[in-house]
Formats: sequence, C-alpha cells, structure tokens
Amino acid sequence: MKTKLLPAVLLVALCAGCSSMGVEPWDRDVLAREDMQLVTDPLEAATDDHIYFSKEASSGGRGFGGGGCGCN
Amino acid sequence: MTKSHRKNDRSVSATLAAATCALLGTGASAPVDAQEEPKWDFNTSFLYYGEDENRVQDASLKSIIRRLFADDKSLSIGVTVDTLTGATPSGAIRQDVAQTFTRPSGNAAYSVPAGELPLDDTFKDTRVALTANWTQPAGEKGLLSVGMSASKEYDYLHTGLNANYAHDFNNRNTTLSAGIAVARDSIEPVGGAPTPFTPMLDVGDVSNRNGDQDKDVLDVIFGVSQVISRDLVMQVNYSYSMSDGYLNNPYKVLSLVDGVTGDTLPRTTPLPPDGGPSGQFLFEGRPDERTQHSLYTQAKYNMNGKVLDVSYRYMTDDWEIDSHTMDVRYRWPIGAGSYLEPHLRFYTQSEAEFYRLSLDSSQPLPQFASSDYRLGNFDAITAGLKYGWKTRNGNDMSLRVEWYTQSGTVPAGQLIGNQAGRDNYPDLNALIVQFSYRFSQ
Amino acid sequence: MRYMKTGTGLRVLFAALLVFAGQGVMAEPTGTLELDRYESQVVVLDFWASWCVPCRRSFPWLNAMHEKYSGQGLVIIGVNVDNDPEAAAAFLKDYPAQFQIHYDTGATLAREYGIQGMPSSVVIGRDGEIKETHIGFKMKRQDEYEAAILAALNEGVE
Repeated sequence: MKTKLLPAVLLVALCAGCSSMGVEPWDRDVLAREDMQLVTDPLEAATDDHIYFSKEASSGGRGFGGGGCGCN
Repeated sequence: MTKSHRKNDRSVSATLAAATCALLGTGASAPVDAQEEPKWDFNTSFLYYGEDENRVQDASLKSIIRRLFADDKSLSIGVTVDTLTGATPSGAIRQDVAQTFTRPSGNAAYSVPAGELPLDDTFKDTRVALTANWTQPAGEKGLLSVGMSASKEYDYLHTGLNANYAHDFNNRNTTLSAGIAVARDSIEPVGGAPTPFTPMLDVGDVSNRNGDQDKDVLDVIFGVSQVISRDLVMQVNYSYSMSDGYLNNPYKVLSLVDGVTGDTLPRTTPLPPDGGPSGQFLFEGRPDERTQHSLYTQAKYNMNGKVLDVSYRYMTDDWEIDSHTMDVRYRWPIGAGSYLEPHLRFYTQSEAEFYRLSLDSSQPLPQFASSDYRLGNFDAITAGLKYGWKTRNGNDMSLRVEWYTQSGTVPAGQLIGNQAGRDNYPDLNALIVQFSYRFSQ
Repeated sequence: MRYMKTGTGLRVLFAALLVFAGQGVMAEPTGTLELDRYESQVVVLDFWASWCVPCRRSFPWLNAMHEKYSGQGLVIIGVNVDNDPEAAAAFLKDYPAQFQIHYDTGATLAREYGIQGMPSSVVIGRDGEIKETHIGFKMKRQDEYEAAILAALNEGVE
C-alpha cells in the first residue's frame, strides 16, 4: 500500500504547488520548440519502448500532453 | 526482439498520442515551410537491431502517417514490419557435455556443443503491427485521443484499444492527463502451449500440449506536466498495469539438476531414432496474474539552445521485480538545422521471486519457476549517438547508433555444485542502428 | 489580470504611460500613442508570435478583415511578442500581413492587456472601450470573430 500512496501524494503535492509556477502566455517561445517537447521523436520513443519491453521486465511510463507553446 | 509482448503496440499508440498532442491545441511538430499549413506528416524509420553470438537479429520498417485537419484534429496511422531471425536462450543451463533438445514444434531436435549456452534458433518470423489514433480538442482546455492497436506474427496476436484525455490549467502551465488501454492477446505457440512443469518430450510427442492461450492486459496512467520556467518543463506519471491469463513463455524450460553436482539429470530412457532431449528439462510456469506500478519523471531543460532531457522511472510489481531506469539525452545544435545527441541509459532490475537458474531435483518443485533472463537480476547500459540534419527541402533526417549491453547475476543461493564455476547468465550485447526520415506537405 | 472596462480608466492609464514615457522609464513607444491616433476607429489588437501555430491560420483571415473593413474604420494592429525579431521576420515572410505590425518589446502591451493565452485578439470600439477579447483562433469560429468586429464598427452609427 505504501508504494501506491507515495505517487498519489507526490502528484497532489505537485498540483498544489503548480498554480504558482509557470510562464506568461507570451513567453513560451522556447517551450514551443520541437526539441523541447516531452516526446521529441515519437518514432524513436516507440522503437525504444519496444526494444526494452522485449528485453527487460519493465515497460512504458511515458505520458501524454503538456509543455509546448500552450497555444489555444 | 521477441514474440512475447504486444503491450508495446498499445504504448506505441500512447506515444503516438503523445506525439500528436505534445502541444495542446497545436500541430507544432510539423515544420513551418510553406504558406499553406501542412496537411500531411510522414515519419518513417528503418531499424536494425542485432545481438552478438548468433542471437536475435531484427530488421524493422516503421512508418507513422498523420493527416491534420482544421482546428487541431488529426488522424495517425502507424505501420510496423519486423523480420526476426536468430537464436534465443532456451532457459537450459550450460553443461560440460554436448546436449540435445526437442524444438518447440516437437517436429525436430537440435544439439548444443559442450560448454555452450543452449540457444534455440527456431525463430524466424515476420511481425506486422498497426496502430490508428484520432486526436481532437475537447472544450477550451482539453485534448482527447482514442486509438487502437493490433499486431500479428506466427504465434501471437495482439488487439487493443486506448483512450487518453489531457486538460490544461494555470494558463496552460499545468496539464493533468489520464489514459487507459486494454488489450486482449492470443498466444498460439508452435506445437501448442505445454503444461508447466511437464518435461520436454521426444520428437513427435506433443502429449503435454494445450493449444492456444489468452492474456488480458489493463493499463492506466495518470500524469502531471508542469512548466517550471521559460526553459524548463517537467512531467510526473504514475502507471498501473494488470496482466491476467497466460503469462508463461511457452518455449522456455528449466534444467532439472542433481542436488549435489548441479549438473543436468540425464534422460532415463534411450534416445529414440527421431531424437529428443539429452537430459531432463521442465517447461516453465509463471503466475497467471501480474500487477505493476511505475512512477516516471522527466525534465527537459533548455540551456542556450542545447537541450538536456533527463528521466527516471521506478517500477515494482507483485512478482517482486523492482527496477530503476535513468535516461539522459543531450541535444547539441550544430550549424543550421543539424544536431548531435549523445544518449546514456542505465537500467537495473532485481529478479522475480520465482526466477530460478535451474530446478533442484532433490527439492520439491516450486509453484512457479522461470529461468528467463528477462526476469533475472541484471544491469543494462545503453550508450549511443544520434546525428540529425535537415535536407535541402527542409525535411528532417536522423541516424542513431547505439550499443546495448546487459549483464546479470544469478542469486548466490541458487548456484549448486558445478554451476558455481560456470558463466551461467546469458549476457546480452546488441547494436542498434536507426535511420529516420520525416517530411510534411 | 484585470481588464480596463471603462474608457476613462483606459485614458487615465494612457496618460500615466505617456508621463512615464516622457520620463524615459519606457524606452519604446507604446501602443498608447497609436491608440490615441485611432480615436473613433475600431482597433483590433492581435497578439501573435512566430512560434504560435494558430497564428498561421489567423493571418490570412486578418488580411481578409483588413481588406473588407478598413474602409469602414477598422484598424488591425498585429502585436508581436517574439523575443527574437529574426523569428518574427521569418514568419512574416511566409505569412505576410497587410495590416500594421507593432513590436511589443518587453511584452509591455501584453502585460497591460493581461493577455491570457496565445494568440489573443482585443477588439477596441470607437469609444476606446474594450468590446471583446478572444483567446485562440479556431477556423470554425471565424464568423463569430467577424461578428464582433462588425458589432464594434456599427455601434452608435445610425
């Protein structure tokens, strides 16, 4: 149970502190760059996921969404 | 690479989803070339993966085609074709004498010279995988993605569905996301799935086989990504994965050994004319359920145009496997549109509770046992370099070369007699070469 | 992040900024001068950047609005918030603007108008009041955006 609780606590703590962090909408030039995306090369990421899943006992972890230019 | 997992195809979808939706509300992954916004995005790669010592070789062609629609909707189709050849450890241990084994099909036998690691080279296979993913904004601050995945090879079929939702907060500085994926896989082992802990039989004898099997997988992921500063973005994800059904590797065995010498027990009957195993080997058996928890965190940091990408993942499961993964990439732009990206990855895992190098015949058989090196105690390092450049048309090409090496240890208490003097763990060394080409129009 | 809803408030702010400008605290001419110049016209301040993908779609539309309504008193000002002027120039080469561009160095205007997302469009009526603010540019909402401009143009004209 401890292992289940810790990530949840971390996520909540992170969210609580989140509202004060960040940049203004006009300051996202660096974050909009392709090489600053959380997954820059999806083909490479998918390939690596497959290789390591096949050769090791762990898998995945990567998520979805966030960062970037924050455009609307 | 192998036949035993298809969860990847679902994680490919998720990664695709991540690719198409890395920026909420934008398709910024397409290069700005023309006055017309690009409608199509083609991303293709050729991969060579080769292990040394005649082990697995894989040549793979992968393509992701994305069609962009108005207002940030997109459809992604992915196709992968793998051709696998080469040999893989059968799970039996080395001996000081030559050994023979019956092939998984039950139709033939193969022999292994004295002192060599028993490898089964039956595997020549072609695998085709397909993914499809639809992404669209949901409301003002949301992004929804739904997808499917499927793959087929000689002895394995995977089918899966996935869905992801991400929502922006705090002026899009914070993103909360949740994803779910379900999969139903069918395992159709050559010759039929053997009953666990029954012996490897002579050629032509498939009396201990049980036909095809199924496995269900559920994956759930929750994540937070946060813009920390103009130059730094971070992500934390928690994943939960539950597998239920046939989790064995139908082709792997364990050597049944003498309790004092640690040597494989010889067969009790004479070897028939068609051939058969030279010793006593039992098919492995794993639990029919596995629950994994992972915590993944990543940071991308811009330092004057150079980007440092660091990630760490901790995984723990109810097979008592714990793992740590640390991945570091450094992208260093050189010239116009070119870059160099060194890469280093460290991985370590502890063995499954039921991992055994061999089975001690003087002890009662355990409930579960496997000598699959993928469930053992090992460290792995990947070291590589990627070079990327832009073609004259402004399209992206890249080439990466990496070296992957695994080295494991058998838990000391498991070594019996003569085993202690031998190199028991099938260490792995592999070369990875991948060439990618991406263009939009 | 408050919007100046009243014309008086806006004018007081403009006056204050003029004073500051005079004192040399602000090195660049701000939009205040331009806006005073456009009294009795409808001003659309469109905040854009080279890295903002929806801006590639909004520029052709803004050009169309400029053609259609500049005769009726519409003034479009593309306010650029790029940190790198070269990036802005490259964008304009691919997506030329028929309307004016103002370079908001230091993001002074962006802060003044409390911009909440990119891109943002602020419609200021003939009376100097902010009529509408739109965050983002969606192709399917073009009619909505155009209606806001028309409403501002026709206000009080009868």
